[in-house]
Amino acid sequence: MTTNGHTYTLKVWRQPGADRPGRLATYTVTGISPDLSLLEALDVLNEDLIRKGEDPIAFESDCREGICGQCGIVVNGVAHGSKLGCTTCEIRMREFAPGSTITLEPFRATAFPIIKDLVINRSAFDRIIARGGYVSINTGAAPEANAIPVARDLAEKAMDAAACIGCGACVAACPNASASLFVGAKVSQLAVMPQGHAERERRVTRMVAQMDAEGFGNCSNHGECEAVCPKEIPIHVISRMRREYIRASVKSVLG
Amino acid sequence: MSDPAPITLDPRIPEGPLEHKWDTFKQEAKLVAPANRRKYTVVVVGTGLAGASAAASLAEMGYTVKSLCISDSPRRAHSIAAQGGINAAKNYQNDGDSVWRLFYDTIKGGDFRSREANVYRLAQVSASIIDHCAAQGIPFAREYGGTLSNRSFGGAQVSRTFYARGQTGQQLLLGAYGALMRQVDEGNVTLYPRREMLDLVTVDGRARGVVARNLVTGAIERYSGHAVILATGGYSTVFHLSTNAVNSNATAVWRCYKRGALFANPCFTQIHPTCIPQAGDGQSKLTLMSESLRNDGRVWVPKLKGDQRPPAQIPEDERDYYLERLYPSFGNLVPRDIASRRAKEVCDQGRGVGPGGLSVYLDFADAVKRLGEPVIRSRYANLFDMYHEITNENPYQVPMRIYPAPHYTMGGLWVDYHLMSTIPGLFVAGEANFSDHGANRLGASALMQGLADGYFVLPYTIGHYLAGIGPGAVADKDPAFDVAERGVREDVSRMLAVNGSRTVREFWHDLGRIMWNKVGMSRHEKGLSEAIAEIQSLRQEFAKNVRVSGAEGDFNKDLEFAGRVSDYLGLGELMARDALQRRESCGGHFRDESATPEGEALRDDDHFTYVAAWRYRGEGQLPDMQQEPLPFERVHPSQRSYK
Amino acid sequence: MGGVLGGCSTSSIGKKILSAITGLGMVLFVVGHLAGNLTLLLGAEAFNNYAHFLKHLMHGAFIYIAEAGLLLFFFTHIWMGVTVWLHKGRAREEGYEVAGNAGGESKKSLSSLTMILSGISLAIFVVIHLLHFKFGPAEAQGYLTTIDGQPARDLYRLVIEEFHKPLPTIAYVAFMLFLGLHLRHGFWSAFQSLGVGSPRLTPAINTAALILALVLAIGFLALPVYVYFGVDIPAATRVVALEVGP
Repeated sequence: MTTNGHTYTLKVWRQPGADRPGRLATYTVTGISPDLSLLEALDVLNEDLIRKGEDPIAFESDCREGICGQCGIVVNGVAHGSKLGCTTCEIRMREFAPGSTITLEPFRATAFPIIKDLVINRSAFDRIIARGGYVSINTGAAPEANAIPVARDLAEKAMDAAACIGCGACVAACPNASASLFVGAKVSQLAVMPQGHAERERRVTRMVAQMDAEGFGNCSNHGECEAVCPKEIPIHVISRMRREYIRASVKSVLG
Repeated sequence: MSDPAPITLDPRIPEGPLEHKWDTFKQEAKLVAPANRRKYTVVVVGTGLAGASAAASLAEMGYTVKSLCISDSPRRAHSIAAQGGINAAKNYQNDGDSVWRLFYDTIKGGDFRSREANVYRLAQVSASIIDHCAAQGIPFAREYGGTLSNRSFGGAQVSRTFYARGQTGQQLLLGAYGALMRQVDEGNVTLYPRREMLDLVTVDGRARGVVARNLVTGAIERYSGHAVILATGGYSTVFHLSTNAVNSNATAVWRCYKRGALFANPCFTQIHPTCIPQAGDGQSKLTLMSESLRNDGRVWVPKLKGDQRPPAQIPEDERDYYLERLYPSFGNLVPRDIASRRAKEVCDQGRGVGPGGLSVYLDFADAVKRLGEPVIRSRYANLFDMYHEITNENPYQVPMRIYPAPHYTMGGLWVDYHLMSTIPGLFVAGEANFSDHGANRLGASALMQGLADGYFVLPYTIGHYLAGIGPGAVADKDPAFDVAERGVREDVSRMLAVNGSRTVREFWHDLGRIMWNKVGMSRHEKGLSEAIAEIQSLRQEFAKNVRVSGAEGDFNKDLEFAGRVSDYLGLGELMARDALQRRESCGGHFRDESATPEGEALRDDDHFTYVAAWRYRGEGQLPDMQQEPLPFERVHPSQRSYK
Repeated sequence: MGGVLGGCSTSSIGKKILSAITGLGMVLFVVGHLAGNLTLLLGAEAFNNYAHFLKHLMHGAFIYIAEAGLLLFFFTHIWMGVTVWLHKGRAREEGYEVAGNAGGESKKSLSSLTMILSGISLAIFVVIHLLHFKFGPAEAQGYLTTIDGQPARDLYRLVIEEFHKPLPTIAYVAFMLFLGLHLRHGFWSAFQSLGVGSPRLTPAINTAALILALVLAIGFLALPVYVYFGVDIPAATRVVALEVGP
């Protein structure tokens, strides 16, 4: 453990509001321990700004352990930074060379409007989930839990997809700003689990329609989403979503 | 102020034998007819396991629900971070589990400071939770035959914990979130994200709504309803550094307390034993690692004080595997409170390791030798990776270093059997209430309780309440809303106007230090009295010298935190007061004055078998304490022994 | 048909499905085209026979049917590609100041990022190519030969002549590089778009895409290069054949 800190230059996107122009502002932070996380370094900078009477940088985080999906910054051009399989809050300062410049930008997509600085509005994801990201079962209606056996490898496969934290990095990293990995993950989880089968056609049709209505781009299979996904959800969930979609379309035509 | 009339705290426990109480309640509860339910509006604050499940279930039944969420999405609630699992008395493993046993383990684990009837009901509905969550498509771990897997967790002697990898909380929350969003889609729930509840509104003594701040625009908004459910989580963040999330806070419960809801057992806090130790001053939180690690890891410190040798160079006979030494039958799997306190004890003796001697080793070398690295990897890879990531040390090669951290608060707003607070119409669910865990919570029981409250208790008890008051219109034009809104505005403006020299975080940091040192894992009369005085002076300084940046009508995190820290300063003092009055040790509350010769917690059942419920009596006034006796009809409190 | 196309083309997944089907259809055509082109290596007679065979297959109907299908695929593919590309601009109106690549499992590549450019290039190529050969000089302009005693177009000579001119040769080679670039991503992507993807299948398809792209690009560009350096222009003889006729 090192206690003497380093100096870094932070270039941070500052934008006072949704409809106001933004720009990259440059700050210098000193005495940063390599054990601090990037967000803690931002905390330190914000304390400085508050003391100086300046407006602190608005950014979001909650759990700070990579599970809530609230944080999300494009760090040096890569959503959640270049380290694979981690969220922004899991980035440690030791990953940056002392004295280096770190550029921080918000996740950018028309469907994720900027609220302030690095804070964006990801309600589009909620609206997509509202259209089918669940099994429609009322409390009290469930059968005995072991009444429907689920093969172990299916449960594992479903879990791989269900690990999605809804951070939106897939959208941020996608050259087309597509939300396919996010939607594919939920569709896949519930397409794999037998409990989800009763409404699988309705689910995929409605969720995809909502995804399109929110203004996300079309997926061109760049696969950048999988690479930035903090839970390393594979793009196979996207192909599964398409299979589900084709299945639903065929069934709707054939009846 | 003259002494106020004491309140008789009526827990409204149904008559009859323990096993039949819940059925009795359900049989006798008043009902609202399906066609009338939409005329009733329920305001649900919080969207974690308890809040989301309650909001979804009520909406499914046909009630109109307003759901307030502090984050950008209900899916972010801190329930998501629970790793280990959820208990249920299914007895799928044929190892002798039963509703009674889960009930008894929970009561005993809570060191006999919880209400029998509530805990029994919790154990009864636990099985339905698993049924419901499995039906939601939650990918629980499965056996090859397709049935659900279980593991033994947190020292339980049966395998009753259901889990979804190390992300059980996440999966259960996403299930509840899905159910909630389905009701949003169907128009039964209106979701208000990025709203922070800042006050409770009562009309004629009944909870009729809340006032909240829109965290994007800064607008102060009114939400009226026929009942209010508070599901806003615990208050470990009073300690500043804890395993809780950045936005976890105590403001909603604290402001309800100030409106007259009694606060029960505020000193009952759980310090989790297996957290990653603090590394530096700028640190914002402590990261918890699942205590399942203690299944294979051995906890030790050097026998010698101040031993600076690297762990590999400390020979076996110079190591003190103190949990195995002190508790031969439970060993490393003793309950959380004991594991935490013993860790602090050895560190206080100067035998701690790592920077500042503030950690103990959790060593997997033996397990790796016995089972091989692949097995250990398959069990704990994500935890080991996380540890490596944070500390830059490879736990496959060197022992992990762990230290306790504030994690969960058993205390909370007082509720009766209906989960209703002392304010009619204000219901409290999940970690925000005090009801089920007594003085210590068992592992994998928080998820169970949150979902039990939301899915299977509130839908019945709220209906009973609503049927009793009728669907009369609730207007947010009521003068009570004006008063509450004005109060909130004044608070906000006052904090912004101070323009002092110390930041909000500095105050929080200071409060955390006081709480950790004097209201932490072991407490004593002198320290607690000092803590009260120190917190009071810190609060005075806060009022005069805090510096809050930015404007009211803007996205302003600093302002949000200022309000929260201001509340922590009040709650911290109340926690110290409660700890001071409880001159016994029980569960997570350890008073140095009340210990067995071996240093174990010593309860004083003759004097303290009660719930301490605190009543707010105005700024500058001492709160008064009401007692709810805990008559144990079916279990006989015994001294916990894990030896 | 238009209705189904319109229906599919309104959903993001439908667009990719149409794109994939039309793309794979054209890949099939291109594979067949390359196989046919290889008859060039067998000499004038084989090549001209092959062209003649195609022209008269199914009493001349085959070529029109194939061309109609190809045209439909061609325009649908372009329509989908351009729509996706246009949508991309709307889906992220303000770009990043710093561009980065995540690495890891990403399949983002020069090929995937330039699909619209390589695609447009290929569209331009197709027009030029058709003008060159399909609508280029024929019997009337002297490119005449006989097959089974019947007069026929001497396409062989036209090809050989063209590929002795430096500019068309270089352009063809360049365009074929674009074809390879387009197929490198396009081929595996088409399967992914059709839902054919899994942890075991995708790596195989991805490798197949690389091989296919290389084979087709090298195969197509090898011919002009081979002709330029290795084949002499045949003399414009056999005109006498005309006189033999009536």
